[in-house]
Order: sequence, then structure tokens, then C-alpha cells
Amino acid sequence: MTTKKRKATKNSKSAKSTKASGKSKSPAKRSARAALSVATNARRSVEERVAALTEAPIAASEKEDDLQAVLDVLRNKEEPQQVRLATLQTLQASSFGAPAFESLRGDYIAVLRELATDPDPELRQRALGILARQKDGFAQKKLLEGLRDSEKALVPLEKALQLLSYDVHSDAYSVSREIVEKPPSTVAKREALRLLAADATAAPIFEKILRDKDEMAENRQISASVMQTLNPEKLRTHAREILLDTSEYDDIQATCLTALTQFGDAEAIAQDETLKTHVDKLSSEASPKVKQSARQFLKKYSG
Amino acid sequence: MCAQSELQFAALIDALAADPRRRERLTELLHEDHPLYDQRGAAAIVRMRGWVLLALARIGVTDAALLFVLEELDAGVDAYLVAAAARALRSYPEPTATFVPFVMRALANIRYHDDPVSFDNYGEYTISSTGTSPVRELLATLAWLGPHARGVLSEVESLRAQPGGLPKKLFSELDRAVESIRDGAQVAEIGSDACCTLPSGLRHTFSRARNARRGCEPIESTIFEDHAGATLTFKEFFYGRPTVVVFFYTRCDNPLKCSLTVAKLAQVQKLLEASGLADQIQTAAITYDPAFDLPERLRGYGQNRGLRLDARHRMLRATDGVNALRQHFKLGVNFIESLVNRHRIEVYILDAEGRISASFERIHWDEQQVVHRTIEVLKEKSDETPVEVSPEPADPTTRRKIVSPMFASFASLGVAFFPKCPLCWAGYLSMFGIAGLEQIPYSPWLQPALVAVMLINLASVWLQGRSTCRMIGFYLVSAGALVIVLSKMRLGLENFAVCGVVLTLVGSLLSALNVKSGRPAARN
Repeated sequence: MTTKKRKATKNSKSAKSTKASGKSKSPAKRSARAALSVATNARRSVEERVAALTEAPIAASEKEDDLQAVLDVLRNKEEPQQVRLATLQTLQASSFGAPAFESLRGDYIAVLRELATDPDPELRQRALGILARQKDGFAQKKLLEGLRDSEKALVPLEKALQLLSYDVHSDAYSVSREIVEKPPSTVAKREALRLLAADATAAPIFEKILRDKDEMAENRQISASVMQTLNPEKLRTHAREILLDTSEYDDIQATCLTALTQFGDAEAIAQDETLKTHVDKLSSEASPKVKQSARQFLKKYSG
Repeated sequence: MCAQSELQFAALIDALAADPRRRERLTELLHEDHPLYDQRGAAAIVRMRGWVLLALARIGVTDAALLFVLEELDAGVDAYLVAAAARALRSYPEPTATFVPFVMRALANIRYHDDPVSFDNYGEYTISSTGTSPVRELLATLAWLGPHARGVLSEVESLRAQPGGLPKKLFSELDRAVESIRDGAQVAEIGSDACCTLPSGLRHTFSRARNARRGCEPIESTIFEDHAGATLTFKEFFYGRPTVVVFFYTRCDNPLKCSLTVAKLAQVQKLLEASGLADQIQTAAITYDPAFDLPERLRGYGQNRGLRLDARHRMLRATDGVNALRQHFKLGVNFIESLVNRHRIEVYILDAEGRISASFERIHWDEQQVVHRTIEVLKEKSDETPVEVSPEPADPTTRRKIVSPMFASFASLGVAFFPKCPLCWAGYLSMFGIAGLEQIPYSPWLQPALVAVMLINLASVWLQGRSTCRMIGFYLVSAGALVIVLSKMRLGLENFAVCGVVLTLVGSLLSALNVKSGRPAARN
């Protein structure tokens, strides 16, 4: 018998036995204790356990012991991956509101740090994601080590950059600059740019990318957004140039039109006949996306 | 780039802690603006400062380092630093009730972020919850404070009963703390003045006399942009009226620092308005992060915290001369790229010439106190005689400690020199001249009174010696008292009375100096 068939038989057997016992309740009616007894029972099928874990009563349980039992499942490397992922989801949901969770917080953080080096890549990434959102020093240290030495990487480089960007005070700026300079992939460069967006001294990098027509449109759009945050005046100057350039990409022109519409110097634009005439032309001849932005621009500045 | 790796830094800390002659440098390393913290991430700063606090915990926190420890308990939100500070506080020579509010505040701030921490090796993060944590360390510190924390006993006890209170696994530590606070045996011992003494290391407010204030020529031309986009120089805004200045930045993720500081500045403005001084005293909130904190961002941040914004009350970003500004105020801040990686709480009161007349640093400041100090600055007249202001509001208990032994020394002198027989009177008469005879009344009742004062002096010096762990003063005063008593017993030792007086005087002075120079070096 193949493994799949064996599993299927086992699952159907357990399902039958549940029905036969007459104790099965619909998930909506099941209490936290009942759901927990299914979720932590290794003899139950994976599907049953996952279903029990994702039910609201466990996550909302007010008993410290219930959540501790779920945490024990998460910690156990012998448990199936799907079950462990479901426990992680349950505990994370519980962390938002269950009063009993506060007592477990320290244990939860310790288990997440343990999971950060788990052999399972998805669990690893999810655990690091939760820790990184809490600006956990351990997660940041591991992610930075991975950026500096690929052999130590726990998640792909792009993901590491994304997770590090959750904390603007992290130490990832110099590495990100190197990645922007010599990107190993287009996604890596994009994520490095997103991370650098928090650093005001990186404004010249974004200005250069915005003006570089050979650069990827997505990176230029990121640059335009960052310029709006760090140096809106300079963005407005470049936005005008980009709009008047007939060889520019639609997406970039649409972004620049939005920037000028929302944050432009109303007095200066009202007197800029060249710009208004060009935008008027775009409102009838350009792509639908640009047309829409151009009409909003004209509505504001041409009354 | 950072010149020194974190491991090198850790080795340096260990070496400094091991060398008694260089231990003072550990406190220097707690200053945020130290070059070693430049261009490091916030998590690295936490590891580094935490290691310094742990080194202090091993060798003993001195008065100079105490403020940094209390600062962390007062406004810290990082589990590692709060735990390290709680442990470090226990190495202070003795517990006092003054520490209790800091420990309780830290407990309230950190109990929902009680992450497990490891102190075994530099930069280590624990993956086990069986080790220590900030709440564990704070409970141990409460146990160390013992009866000094009597005032918060019910609050500590309630941590067990509260819904969502402390986890069950911390109950044993909680019980230990409660037991220690209740401990009746110690209560009797702390009845002395040691219970409420403000440690002399707690200098978080500084005042400068008019003649001691630094001029602001180096930053006069620093250019600021305000919340409305208006440009002005330091001189244009800060000259003419006293100003309350706070430093902050909008991306600060510690709600107990920048956000609270700006909200408190709004409260200062309300107090000024209530006193009718809102037009005579200015306020300014200056950002540490001028490249990011553009006018619109400043305005939104201030308005959301109730700040009044107009020509006299502005939020500012320095567009030119940022480094000069940083040097002038000696700002407690450091950076990674353009971002702040660590800063202290700092409030300054500038006089009408833009000079720093007072500052409130690190520990949370009182709005009313800031307003009072600013009103004093407002009342200063340009032609008044410069008067040196105390570096901090003088602590009456400390003053009493110094004065008491000195006063008692004079009492002992009085006993020794009191004229007790016609011969004594003759001696005095020969000294002061016969003309004054009728002006010196003889009062035999004064002798027992002076003996009583001498005994009080003896007890006072003993208590001082016990609290400072320096008993030499007490031994000298005891010897002096003994000699005086013997000399008065008509054993032919009358001439030794002077020796007794000298011994008493020297012992009392030593005792007084011990108090003044602060507490002794911490125990290992």
C-alpha cells in the first residue's frame, strides 16, 4: 500500500470512529476543551487536528493550560508539519486577545526562537516573520547573519530583507546598499530599496533610480514614493520632467501625475501652461491608467 | 562603519570590569553619544548597553552609574535592558525606598513583554523560558528592597490575584518578594534616616547660574524650519524670551520617550497659559531626525499630542548646522545612517539669550517643576548679581546628614570646655579678660545637656558609619568621648580633655565627609 493510500484509509477510519462514538460535535458547538482534546491527540488524523486547532474556542481559551498544551504541540518536532503550522496560527490569533496568553508569552517567544532554526522552511519563515514584526533582536541577528553569509541564511535573501524592514532601527542599511549596488536578483534589489526607504540619507539613490529610464518600472515607482516621503520638492521637479517626456512609461507618468495632483504646488502648477497643455493631451491620448490620473490633475488645476 | 566589533566591545567591558582602576569608564560607556555606539542598529545597542549594565551588576553600581540604571527602569521597554537594570540595581550598596517607584514602573511597563533573556554570554538570546526574564529580575529586586517597599505591598500582592496577572510559574518569586517586603525583623533596622535618602547619584536636573552659562554663538546661525514650513535661525527664535525646549523624533518607537515628552510639553503649555505666561515663555520641540521629520509630519505629530503651535510655540527641524546643535546641547543621542538608534529624555530651559539655564535629563520630568524653573528664568534681570544655583534641588536629608555630626562636634567641644569649677572660670577669665566676668552666667544644668548632646553625636556618627560602611569616624568619636569623660573624673587627666575634643572633632568631620563624598565603592 502506498503512503498516501495508507493515510487515506487511516483518516477515513478515524472519521468513522468519531461518528460511531457519537461524541462528535459540529465545530461551532465544540468547547475549547473538546477541541483541544482532538487537536493534541496524535492518533487523530491531521485534518481533524488542523480543523480543531483553527476553531475559535482554543484561540480564545481563558485557561493557561489549554494554550500550554497547544504550545507543546508546536514545540514537538515529531508532530506533522500541517499540525504545527495550525498551532502556530492558533497561538498567534490567541496572542491578540486571550488574557491567558500573557502568561505564556515568554514561552511562546522562546518556542518561536527555537522554530527559527527548525528544519522545516515554512515554519522557520513564519516564526521569523512573527518575531521580526515584534522587532526581536534574536530574529534580526539571525537574518543579518544570513544576509552577510549565505550559508547561515534561514530564509531567502529577499525574505530576510523584507522581514528586516519591519524595524527601521535595524542594522540592515549597509547590506541593503550593497545589494542595490550589485543585486543578486531583481526581487532582492526591490526589497533592498524598500528597506532603504526609511533612511533619509539614501534619497540620492532613489533620485538616481527615478531618473534612470533603463531601471525597472517597479523600482522607479518605489523611488517616486520614497522621494515623496523624503524629498517631496525634488520629486515634484522630476515629476514635471517625466510627464513632459513622451518616451516615459505609463506607470511612472501615472505615479508622477498623482504626486503632483495630491502634493503639488498649486500656485506654480496653475501658471505652468506647458505642463497643463501636455497633461490635457495625455488625458485624451494616453493609456487608461494615465488618462484617469490626468483627468484628476486637470480637475484640480484647470478648474 | 563601526570601528570595533561587538565581541571586541564585550571584551573591553569585561576588561574594564576586572580592573578596579578603570571601572569608572563603564559609566562613560552608558552615554548614548559615545562614539562606540555610532552607526549601529538599535538591537546591537541593546546588547552592548545591556552588557555594560551586567558588568556593573557584577562589580557594584556606583552613584555615578545609578542614574542610568534608574533611567532604564523608568522608561525602558526592552526586556533585556530592563532585566539587566533590575539586576544591576541590586548591586547598589544598599536598598532605599527611593528605588521602589522605579521598580514598580518597570514592572508595569514590561510585564506584558516579559521575554526570556540570557545573561550568560554576550549577545546570547535564550530559546528556553526556564531562565530569567525582566519580571523575574524585578521581583528579585523587590525582594532585595524588602521592607523599603512596604508602601507598595498591596500592589505587589495583587499581581497574583489580578486577571491576566503574573503567570503561575512566577508565583514563587512573587511570594518571595511579598515575604521579604513583610519581613518585620528588617523593619526595625530601617527606622533610621537611611530609608528615605535620595541617592546623591540621582542627578537628573541641572541648573546653571547666569555667569556659568555658555553663550550660543556657535549655533546662532543654525537654520530651522518650523511645523508650518517657515524658516528662521536659532537667534531669531530663541533670543528675547525664555524657552522650554524638548528633543524628540516622530519615528521613536518607545511610547515612554518622545511621544510622552511631546504630550508633556503640551501640558507645560497649558500650565503657562493658566499662569498667563504663554506669550512670555516660548516652547520648542526640536527633532533629532530632521531629514525625515518634514513640516507636515511635525505638525501632525504635535497636534495629535495636543501641542499648541503658533509663532511662540513651534516644532522645529534643523536644516543646517545639525552637528553644531548636537554639540552645543551635548545631546544624548546616536545614529545609524540618518536614524536615531538610541536617545535619552532631555528637556532644556533656555534664558532670554538662548543660553541653557537648566536641564532635565533621563528620568521623567515634572511639568510643574519645569514651569517653575522657567518662571525663575523669566524673572531674572540682566543686571542682577550672578548667583550660583545648586546643581540640583538640594536634598534636605543629605544636608542634614552633613550638618548633624558637625553640630554635635561643637556640642562635644562645649562639654570639654564648659567651666566646671572656680579654677576653670579663672582660666577663662584670663583668656577673655576680667572685664567680661559679669557677662558670663554660670549654668550647671548645661553640663548634663551637653553630655546628652555628646551621646546623640555618638549615636549619629554610628548610624552614618553603618550606612556608609566606614566606621573610622565612629571609633574616633568614641575614643574622644571616652577621653573627655575620663578627664572629668578627677583622675589627674584633666589635660587630656583637649585630646578628647580633637578626636571627637576629627571623627565627626570624617563621618561628615563620608556622607558628602557619596557611598563607598560597591562590593564585589
